[in-house]
Amino acid sequence: MNISTTWLREWINPKVSDEALAEQLTMAGLEVDGIAPVAPYFENIVVGFVLSCEQHPDADKLNLCQVDVGRADALQIICGASNIRADLKVIVATIGAVLPNGLKIKKAKLRGVESFGMICSDSELGMADSSTGIAELDADAPIGEDIRKYLNLDDNIIELDITPNRGDCFSILGVVREVSANYELPFVLPSFSIKTQVKSSINTSVNNTTACPKYLTRSILGIDNTVKTPQWMVDKLIRSGQAIHSPVVDITNFVLMELGQPMHAFDATKIKGEIEVRNAKSGEKIELLNETTVALNEDTLIIADSNSVLAIAGVMGGLDSATQNNSTDILLESAFFEPVLIAGKARNYGLHTESSLRFERGVDFAITELAMDRATQLIVEICGGQASDVNACIDEASLPKLLPITITQDKIHKVLGFELESKWIEKKFIGLDFEISSKTNCTWTVIPPSFRFDIRLPADLIEELARLYGYDKIPVQKLSLDANINAVEEAQIDKYDIAQSLVTRGYQEVITYSFISEKYHNLIDANANKIALSNPISAELSVMRSSLWAGLLQSVESNQRRGHNNARFFEIGLCFSGVKADEQASKLAGVISGNRFDAQWSGDLMPVDFFDAKADLESLLKLTGAKFEFSASEHPALQKGQTAKIVSNDKQVGWVGALAPNVAKALSLPKCYLFEIDLAVLLTGKIAKYEAFSQYQQSQRDIALVLDEATPVAELIDSIKAMQQQNFVGVNLFDVYAGENIETGQKSIALNLVYQSLEATMDDEQVNNKVDEVLDLLQSKFGAVQR
Amino acid sequence: MIDDILNRAEDAIEKAQNLNQLEDLRVALLGKKGELTALLKGLGQLSAEERPKMGGVINQAKGVVQTLLTERKNALETIALEKRLLSEKVDVSLPGRNAEMGGLHPVTITLKRIQSLFAKNGFEVETGPEIEDDFHNFTALNIPEHHPARAMHDTFYFDDGSVLRTHTSPVQIRTMENQNPPVRIIAPGRVYRCDSDITHTPMFHQVEGLIVDKEANFAQLKGLLIDFLRAYFEKEDLKVRFRPSYFPFTEPSAEADIECVICGGEGCRVCKKTGWLEVLGCGVVHPNVLESVKIDSEEYTGLAFGMGVERLAMLRYGVDDLRLFFENDIRFLRQFK
Repeated sequence: MNISTTWLREWINPKVSDEALAEQLTMAGLEVDGIAPVAPYFENIVVGFVLSCEQHPDADKLNLCQVDVGRADALQIICGASNIRADLKVIVATIGAVLPNGLKIKKAKLRGVESFGMICSDSELGMADSSTGIAELDADAPIGEDIRKYLNLDDNIIELDITPNRGDCFSILGVVREVSANYELPFVLPSFSIKTQVKSSINTSVNNTTACPKYLTRSILGIDNTVKTPQWMVDKLIRSGQAIHSPVVDITNFVLMELGQPMHAFDATKIKGEIEVRNAKSGEKIELLNETTVALNEDTLIIADSNSVLAIAGVMGGLDSATQNNSTDILLESAFFEPVLIAGKARNYGLHTESSLRFERGVDFAITELAMDRATQLIVEICGGQASDVNACIDEASLPKLLPITITQDKIHKVLGFELESKWIEKKFIGLDFEISSKTNCTWTVIPPSFRFDIRLPADLIEELARLYGYDKIPVQKLSLDANINAVEEAQIDKYDIAQSLVTRGYQEVITYSFISEKYHNLIDANANKIALSNPISAELSVMRSSLWAGLLQSVESNQRRGHNNARFFEIGLCFSGVKADEQASKLAGVISGNRFDAQWSGDLMPVDFFDAKADLESLLKLTGAKFEFSASEHPALQKGQTAKIVSNDKQVGWVGALAPNVAKALSLPKCYLFEIDLAVLLTGKIAKYEAFSQYQQSQRDIALVLDEATPVAELIDSIKAMQQQNFVGVNLFDVYAGENIETGQKSIALNLVYQSLEATMDDEQVNNKVDEVLDLLQSKFGAVQR
Repeated sequence: MIDDILNRAEDAIEKAQNLNQLEDLRVALLGKKGELTALLKGLGQLSAEERPKMGGVINQAKGVVQTLLTERKNALETIALEKRLLSEKVDVSLPGRNAEMGGLHPVTITLKRIQSLFAKNGFEVETGPEIEDDFHNFTALNIPEHHPARAMHDTFYFDDGSVLRTHTSPVQIRTMENQNPPVRIIAPGRVYRCDSDITHTPMFHQVEGLIVDKEANFAQLKGLLIDFLRAYFEKEDLKVRFRPSYFPFTEPSAEADIECVICGGEGCRVCKKTGWLEVLGCGVVHPNVLESVKIDSEEYTGLAFGMGVERLAMLRYGVDDLRLFFENDIRFLRQFK
């Protein structure tokens, strides 16, 4: 909200600069987003009166004017504006003036004729972004008066960012109260006496008093709504960010800005029968002031006459019953609508108005009458007319309850961590218009004022005291020492250590959006549960990812488009199989593409393959010390024959494989290799347990075998390990070969078997027997023949 | 005669160019059939008086020859080594092989740093789901239906009424549901708002903090956060100010500003000429929040804080466009190593 400091200072005038005032407001919780003068600085610019205006003898488009600026002699000024004419009050920059754009006004000669000043437009004075022609002042502008004084330009606009709890500050009065509490200065709430000359002729009833506990109307008959809104009001409205309409609308807007009470004026002649405040009925519609027609929901409170809907209560009036320039009889409305019941209604219709903003946050239910009188007084003063008495529908029982709140000095001390004096506390309560209803020995019971909807609990009182004391002045304390050493499971592996180990292997971490396009979802796993947002920001970001691969592949694609062909990316994040907490699992996934390394001076370029991705994943799995099985499988995003699922403890925990060619083609991607694993399995490691090792020499034997090409080597090796031979240390695969000298459909593998005894060095016969056992098993189980 | 042999030997050893020549010389002089060996064998022909004298002379000569041979061998080996080393010389300025290194995302780097700073003060890390129910994201945090704060949250919804969490604060609730006080946690993670422009991305990261303790108070919260901000920006005298603000789940609520780290408080584009940068929100946990998880708000005080991770990363590393964090352009990511 924008606040003019001169307007504010008409009410309360602390002896500080506008800048200091703004700073104080920020530190008291009304955040100032900015402070700016209404016009840049300039001087020697005054009100002038154009005595005569003739065409320049040598220039068609220039006029030669004699301008009275209140000096002994009129000034001869040449002016090119199309709206210059005699008998006009204008703004004159006299010789010596400097315009905001730096232009210095000097005596000048234009086409042989002298000019002693310049007639200005609003934009030339920095008061508007653009102007058509020179500014035309009111006929009663005093000739010769400094324009800064005449237009009240020594004013600053403070832009306030009001938090949702402080609906009471959406007005001059609200900010005045804050200034009063902060500077301990009094102010006077004015009152207005209205002479009622006619009887109210429109009956009013409230059907839903829970939503509308208070509804006041007053007729004003015989007004002239064609008069000009007075300049002082125009200035205040414009500086508050309000547009200018007709006097009646301007006045209701003015009261809104001044007192915070949203008001509405109906054209009384358009009202048929009686007014009723009720919920909308099914099928009812209204064409609003903004010329849109909305179908009303039954939960919406409306103002209706006997025929139709006149307004959405607290949000916006209807077009048909709106006051026009030619309106003569009006019906003024000033009401209190219950915030909780009105909240969200404007938004349901895509509306957001000054009125709904205030009613949703809470309008002072004790100011309804004052606002009605203020608006009446201004209308009668500006537009004339005769005011009726007020037709009031009030349901006291439905008005908000102002319940007493009890607080102790101890509680204040406990929460804030330091002590406030009881005298100071009381002074601040009073300054905030809190009524101290009882007080005993450092315990106070206070009743908040009707405009503070945010003060309901002791904690709210503590905040009030703290902010008026100044958060910055609150002393600083250390957290009390928590002397316990928190238990840290040694077997637990830090997520960052896992990430770091991939970084060491050349991977760059990426963070991609958790929502992806439906296209990506379908390409990566159309069978995965599709968790779609109801209100996505775009189709590209509309489905929660079931796999991290979508984001990784997008990263490969976008970087490749920029010429970076070698990719090694990983991401850690949640993937979603449902909306429940246990359907959101952390995963780690990686993608590689291009060559293993950038071109180097030594060594050839080698494109990455399946086993590069698998090695990177295996390096992570090794951190855990647990056993994982890779077995051939199929996945819709992966290439058949180059896909493995990863199994741990009979549970599938991940995938590794080549990106399926059809997916790569659909996404314009090069050859990629992917892996993904449940993060949980990586986070649990093992605590080391020492085992004695042999002091004797170990024996090794190499064996070469020929077997069916389709036999997975891992099964062979697992079988050897499963034999649990005594003195068996390990087996290492060191060659896999198919081709020349090997029958088609067969492959040759070479294994290195290691044996070692804890008691003695094994002799050849012992070792050979062990190896023969292995060969026998492999022959019988896999048909593997020694070469 | 011995002198003659010694002179010749000395000359020949000096001229030997390799270890083979040297070995031939050794055999010729000291071998079984070598000249000096032959002399020793001839001693028998001498008189008993001359024998020991001559024997001494010959043995001395053998020693001299052996020394000359060893010295020459060492010299030849040194030359050979030098030659080999010269042939093995490399250009040490050439880059090492396969030395490529990846990197962590700047958001991760920042999160890690924030976590390690709070870990020093005994804060444990807690996480929670990103698709949240209405209770944990709003109601339990004192944001009932129709509360104006809901409108400010620009929430992503699912058809069943679940939401993408709009802040990490639900983790406060989940932690207090599962753990009795005292509580001292931080909750880092992704959060989502239905908003996308130059200064907003629909996903970003927050770190939430929560303390629940009998002795906790607002003054401690101030102390903790000032310490944290000074440690994070590595500036001992960093100016920090607290001003009142509003969050439904804290009362009193505060926002903390730091002096602009870009202009040093002089006023610039980043701090909108104010000299201050808003970096976090905090406050005393609202009694309604403690009650929603059945913690007695008379006995315990809760302190909570929340900060935007991208904001802290931008200020720390001078990044001027939020969107860069999620474009994953390696020209950007590579800069954080």
